[in-house]
Amino acid sequence: MEKDKEDFMPKILAFLCNWCSYAGADLAGTSRIKYPPSVLPIRVMCSSRVDPLFVIKAYLSGADGVLIAGCHPGDCHYEKGNYYARRRFVMLKKIIEEIGLEPERLRLSWISASEGNRYAKTVTEFTEKIKKIGENSTKNRIFL
Amino acid sequence: MSKNEEKKLRKKAAILSAKNGIREGIIDFLKKSMDRNIFDAVLIPMRVPADDSFTYVLIRDKNLLKNAFPLPPVMSIQGGKAVSSITRLGKSNIKIAAVMRPCEIRATIELTKLGQTNLENITLIGIDCPGVLPLSDFLNNPEEGMRLFDDAVSRWDDRIMRPVCQMCDKSSMIVGDLHIGFLDAEKDSFFIISNSQKGSDVIDKLSITPQADISSWQTKVEKISEKKHKKREETFRELKSKIDGLDNLLDTFSQCISCHNCMKVCPVCYCRLCYFDSDKVKHPPEDYLERAKTLGSIRFLPDTLLFQIGRMIHMSLSCVSCGSCEDACPMSIPVAQIFSMVADETQSMFNYVSGRNLEEPLPLTTYKEDELHEMEDTHG
Amino acid sequence: MVKALKINKDSEQAVIDLLKLLLEDNRIKGVLTLKKINKKGDVAYTLITRPDELDDAVPFYPLMPINAGKLLSRFTLKGKTREPIIAVVKPCELRGFIELVKRNQGNLENLFFISSTCGGVYPIKMAVDGVVKNNLSRYWDAVKKNENAADLRPACKGCEEFIPYTADMTVDLIGKNDLDKQCVILLNTKNGEQLVRNIKLGEFIEGELDKEKLDKLRVKREKEKKKIFDEINAKINGIDGLIDIFGRCIGCHGCMRVCPICYCKLCEFESPDSEYTPSNYELELKKRGGLRVPPGILYYQLGRLTHVSISCVGCGSCEDVCPVNIPLTSIFKKVGESVQELFNYIPGRNLEEDIPLITFEKEEFAEIEE
Repeated sequence: MEKDKEDFMPKILAFLCNWCSYAGADLAGTSRIKYPPSVLPIRVMCSSRVDPLFVIKAYLSGADGVLIAGCHPGDCHYEKGNYYARRRFVMLKKIIEEIGLEPERLRLSWISASEGNRYAKTVTEFTEKIKKIGENSTKNRIFL
Repeated sequence: MSKNEEKKLRKKAAILSAKNGIREGIIDFLKKSMDRNIFDAVLIPMRVPADDSFTYVLIRDKNLLKNAFPLPPVMSIQGGKAVSSITRLGKSNIKIAAVMRPCEIRATIELTKLGQTNLENITLIGIDCPGVLPLSDFLNNPEEGMRLFDDAVSRWDDRIMRPVCQMCDKSSMIVGDLHIGFLDAEKDSFFIISNSQKGSDVIDKLSITPQADISSWQTKVEKISEKKHKKREETFRELKSKIDGLDNLLDTFSQCISCHNCMKVCPVCYCRLCYFDSDKVKHPPEDYLERAKTLGSIRFLPDTLLFQIGRMIHMSLSCVSCGSCEDACPMSIPVAQIFSMVADETQSMFNYVSGRNLEEPLPLTTYKEDELHEMEDTHG
Repeated sequence: MVKALKINKDSEQAVIDLLKLLLEDNRIKGVLTLKKINKKGDVAYTLITRPDELDDAVPFYPLMPINAGKLLSRFTLKGKTREPIIAVVKPCELRGFIELVKRNQGNLENLFFISSTCGGVYPIKMAVDGVVKNNLSRYWDAVKKNENAADLRPACKGCEEFIPYTADMTVDLIGKNDLDKQCVILLNTKNGEQLVRNIKLGEFIEGELDKEKLDKLRVKREKEKKKIFDEINAKINGIDGLIDIFGRCIGCHGCMRVCPICYCKLCEFESPDSEYTPSNYELELKKRGGLRVPPGILYYQLGRLTHVSISCVGCGSCEDVCPVNIPLTSIFKKVGESVQELFNYIPGRNLEEDIPLITFEKEEFAEIEE
């Protein structure tokens, strides 16, 4: 049983903003920084492009974790997109919490284009955390 | 297919065992069909996990079949809507058996004519239908509802079923590719009749020989239909006297809150954006005020009857009297009975029975040059 | 203390008389209010332009057939009304309308509002057999006694927002022992004051709501609310709890259609985006072995929560209309209030307050980032 948990490699859906976090992830790659192969990245133009519905859809489809990453506050390519994204994320997390689902599976991170290390660290940490929580059980639900 | 050929196909039925009850028998038949790759998946009602209702489930994993419920006590989702959900955007690539009640199959056929389902790779399997309970009655006490339903089915007694079911004269109509009959069968068996090439193929592949005579089933079905038809006429007579004239009609719909639940659950109302939810019915304030001024006051929202009668115009020729609208009405308006009554009249004008046959075109998409003269002005 | 109009009559009758005078004087051109629409005594919202049509009006009838905020939105969706209209609405209906105006779905110009301290309403299903009619005297007894009437909707039993925020006039009903003999209409706004200036009805006094008394009711309602939320919390427990609660949903989307916050012409969950292609189905079947058809019951309900919870006024319409009795309002109100609290937002309190999701502060919620 213990071994199963060890072997479990979570599937994390990551929405990465085009201008910062995606470039950060790129940098992590080109710098050959090691991080777990758990992430399915989706490039979005801005973290504020992430409709809370995307996250709900991902969760109900069985994603073990969802990461939303954007520019640091103040650095948004569109000036204020990430501020909106933050408010939406706060709301979404609260809703998830209030209806008894698992807010731990959601994560918001600010990662700039120069922070390859931070990207790798975020993914590593998040993956470890999800490994501890275990698989998302909606994966095999029929009555959704 | 000519009428004669059709008769021939139907003449004999294959007998299947139902030692552990009809439900188990049907599940067994479906399982065997899946084992032999006749179907890849089965669309069939199942109990929801909370045990308080039922819903359609598309089953690919054979092990789930044991939870299937071919004859649930309620119609919480109209089967036509379920088939449409799967194939509205294109044909299914896997072979699916859809097990449902005759009115659901008829809705599916209407939806196909309306371009909302694709029946390629779908095999429609109908069942003798004892009717269903009103949804709200069942939900008040699901356990008791289940018990009452089982009891009523064993006696084929429809008195606790929905009003539309009590007067349904098509409850055993053979409309799918296959039809499962158990109305007259011996206790430990039921039979299956093919009604199309698709249906015969299934029976062939299962290597069961259709050799049983079904004339006694037919006689029984006819008798029941006759009785129900009488009830239908009676109900409509009574209903007509209740809703006749504008005042009565207004009274009937006085409590309508315009939630449009009836439209939304109607299997035949398929428009993505209903006309009555569209901009066409939204007016500037002056218009509403003008109307109020001519009468002293208007109900707001206005046009309750415009919606009801308008919807009738849109769908009555395809109405299958399934009763979903009445189940979904929070104000308990007898919508299904009213719509059924009108549908019977409109459909008979064109000698049309909705969902009877895929080949019959929708009456409004065709015409004959020499018809309906009685409706024309004769100029004296 | 604000200016008030005191009329020595039954409160409902006093308001009707006032409305009649306003119409007769041409100070307003129309009234939106609840009215008996037939001999059976069925009640519906009605737009009235002729004074005598007000005879059958029942402005404070304990029923909400449709949230009037939604109706006012329909009325002014295509532009402001040029002629002045007055609407008699419940506090949550007014809040619903304000939220809709913030979303550009209505126009406040030339609209006046009469509201009241609200004793709550009965489930619309009780109107079907005329039960509400028979309960009227019991209802008003409870209101006089500053209590919750029995059998009110859960949404109302636990509602603490029973005092209108932005009404031009507020009729004091709750806890008023003499409401069938005397009516006090508080004139909260300049507009309201102007509208009734020099009217030949009752006398002008100074007045205010009895906060202490209303607080007593608020405490009772808070208790009720806690009970309702606790019940819901016990049921909502992870994905299985949600499936248990929403499993019997028949997908009629009635809750969306009657919601005063849901205004989209074509709902996301009825759009092609939410439909499954045959290959979507195949994929899901491979993963799960089976799938509910039509799918997406939880996607719809949770998705709608993300759309409306920030502005949910807890009016109870969704639960009222649900044909399969899902405790929708209790859930939406619970989630809604917790979300609104994050932003210190009360939907419909003030037109000037931005919806929290269209604004931000630079320094906030820093702790949310990891």
